[in-house]
Amino acid sequence: MKTRFISIVRLAASLALIGSLINVSHALKPGERVIVLNSGDGTVSIIDRATRKVMETRPVGKEPHHLVTTLDDSELVIANAASNDLVFLDPLSGEVKRRLPRIIDPYQLGYSPDGKWFVSVSLRLDRVDVYAMPSYELKARIPLAKTPSHVAFSADSKFAYVTLQDSDELAAIDLATQKEAWRIKIGKTPAGIWMSPQGLLFVGIMGRDHVDVIDPAKREVIKKIVTGKGAHNVFPMGNGEHVLVSNRVDGTIVKVDYKNLSVVGKPIKVGSGVDCMEVSADGKEVWATVRWEARVAVIDMTGAKPIEYIPVGRSPHGVYFKSHAKRDR
Amino acid sequence: MSKCGQARAYNLDMEFAFQGFESIVGWLFINAVQPLLFSLDLMSWSEQAFDATAFFVGGALSIVVTALVCLPLERLAPAQRVSTRTNVRTDVAYTLVNKLGLLPLLSFGVLLALVTPVDAWLRLHGFAPFSLEDVAPMLAALPLVSVLLYALVIDFFEYWRHRLQHRIHWWWQLHALHHAQRDMTFWSDDRNHILDELIAALWLATIALLIGVPPAQFPLVIFATKFIESLSHANLRWNFGLLKYVLVSPQFHRVHHAIGLGHEGARHGVNFAVMFSFWDKLFGTADFRDEYPATGIRDQTTGRDYGMTFWETQWLGFKRLFNRA
Ligand SMILES: [Zn+2]
Ligand SMILES: [Zn+2]
Repeated sequence: MKTRFISIVRLAASLALIGSLINVSHALKPGERVIVLNSGDGTVSIIDRATRKVMETRPVGKEPHHLVTTLDDSELVIANAASNDLVFLDPLSGEVKRRLPRIIDPYQLGYSPDGKWFVSVSLRLDRVDVYAMPSYELKARIPLAKTPSHVAFSADSKFAYVTLQDSDELAAIDLATQKEAWRIKIGKTPAGIWMSPQGLLFVGIMGRDHVDVIDPAKREVIKKIVTGKGAHNVFPMGNGEHVLVSNRVDGTIVKVDYKNLSVVGKPIKVGSGVDCMEVSADGKEVWATVRWEARVAVIDMTGAKPIEYIPVGRSPHGVYFKSHAKRDR
Repeated sequence: MSKCGQARAYNLDMEFAFQGFESIVGWLFINAVQPLLFSLDLMSWSEQAFDATAFFVGGALSIVVTALVCLPLERLAPAQRVSTRTNVRTDVAYTLVNKLGLLPLLSFGVLLALVTPVDAWLRLHGFAPFSLEDVAPMLAALPLVSVLLYALVIDFFEYWRHRLQHRIHWWWQLHALHHAQRDMTFWSDDRNHILDELIAALWLATIALLIGVPPAQFPLVIFATKFIESLSHANLRWNFGLLKYVLVSPQFHRVHHAIGLGHEGARHGVNFAVMFSFWDKLFGTADFRDEYPATGIRDQTTGRDYGMTFWETQWLGFKRLFNRA
């Protein structure tokens, strides 16, 4: 019976091979692409940034949530949480270049500023994996309950800071020893995290309506900035002044001055489940995924309102385009 | 219209249907579920709750579609006369409880709470469970082929789960609830003991640990599977013609439910397949006789009571487990 089962699997696998040969990929026309990860259907939507038309929707793996570029910006790295792999894309065209298997449940990810470490956060499995670069050799699996969510790095690459969604904590990992160095209690259900050039951590407090500003040197929350219900992600505008905060429940994006620690202007109504963002080099255009509405919003920052919505796949999460604003850190 | 044009129109329809479904799920989630999560400090469960909402909407939709197809068919060519309407009403209740409550709930919490820690522990200690994509890496770029492969493997395990339901004494005490229906209709597919449904969910989760998580398109396959399963219980004279050697027809599954013929304790049983009938052929349990016998369990004819209403059948199922009924 067992051999029969295996031969069935083999047969199906060879059928799949034939299928893959028939599956011709569509060539892309020139022009900048916006890449959107549809976490709910395991696809990427490739959108022409100028015309705002979806050019192609391509399978990429299971549950692609977050993306990041390599430090030299030459490759776009997509983390497929349920496929347990990373997929490397050409950041301009969105073409798949290679696939790196056996990265277990990569939910969120990042490279340390010195390029020595790659950190993969496994939300589902309560752990954080540290890999040595450039070999992607697994150095340590660090148990980190409960529900590690997002990661940020200190400027000197000594620490990786991870938010713990279900234990309402922030943990610091010493990268050299790959051990948990300390952890502190912060707001309810912390999610997105960003390290400012001033050395302060900004954390979206999703269970409430604010951002916790944390001084890692003092190991304490030094300020709460109210942004909106379901504060989730924190994303720099690249102008040395502002970060954008997405608020999932209120469905808004709010601009925060990260030096004065204060809100600038009024909340921009975007849509429920607004999550990841990408900012144009001139800071005038922001693209944001709207998880529960299966679309991305294009926001005009001058007029402070969405000017277009583009339907994409289910539960869109990460978003990227090449000519983005520089990443303040 | 050109072939290409037709394909495009079809794609647009699919897209429209997808957007329609997604907007119902989104609307329900945004206006009812998310505010609840926020006020209960459960924002961390957003993704699972979003999926559960999709299960709920998908369940409601599948009840409507299945009923729209099966009700007229059952009127057109019934296999038997319905003896007691209450029997059918009980199965309607089962369908509503399962598709609108139990399945979304199981997908939301129980599985996650029970299975994830095991998965996490295994992986932390270096066991990287096997995934079908390891056998054929190209599957990653071919979700539709991949989905069919997952469906095939899962259906194979479903066949064996069903055989064990008949073979293992205590498990049969639960599964007997499903077989005690003497007025079988398409609603009967969901007529299962809650404990049995829980086991089924754990069974599926274990398979997912063994072969990997199916691609996101899987719910469409679940929908198709569940449709075939519901249809296979329909009170309907239909044997699918030659297709009966591939898919489980109402006639084929009726033989499984037949008193004495389809199952007799742990000693004898035929036609265990759930979706693909060829498993029975492959494992020597197929009976393709073209008959529409009466359904039920033999000891019902000598007066054993399996209950009639939802709660009666549930309660007696529990009692049978402990040899008290
Ligand atoms: Zn049975
Ligand atoms: Zn049955």
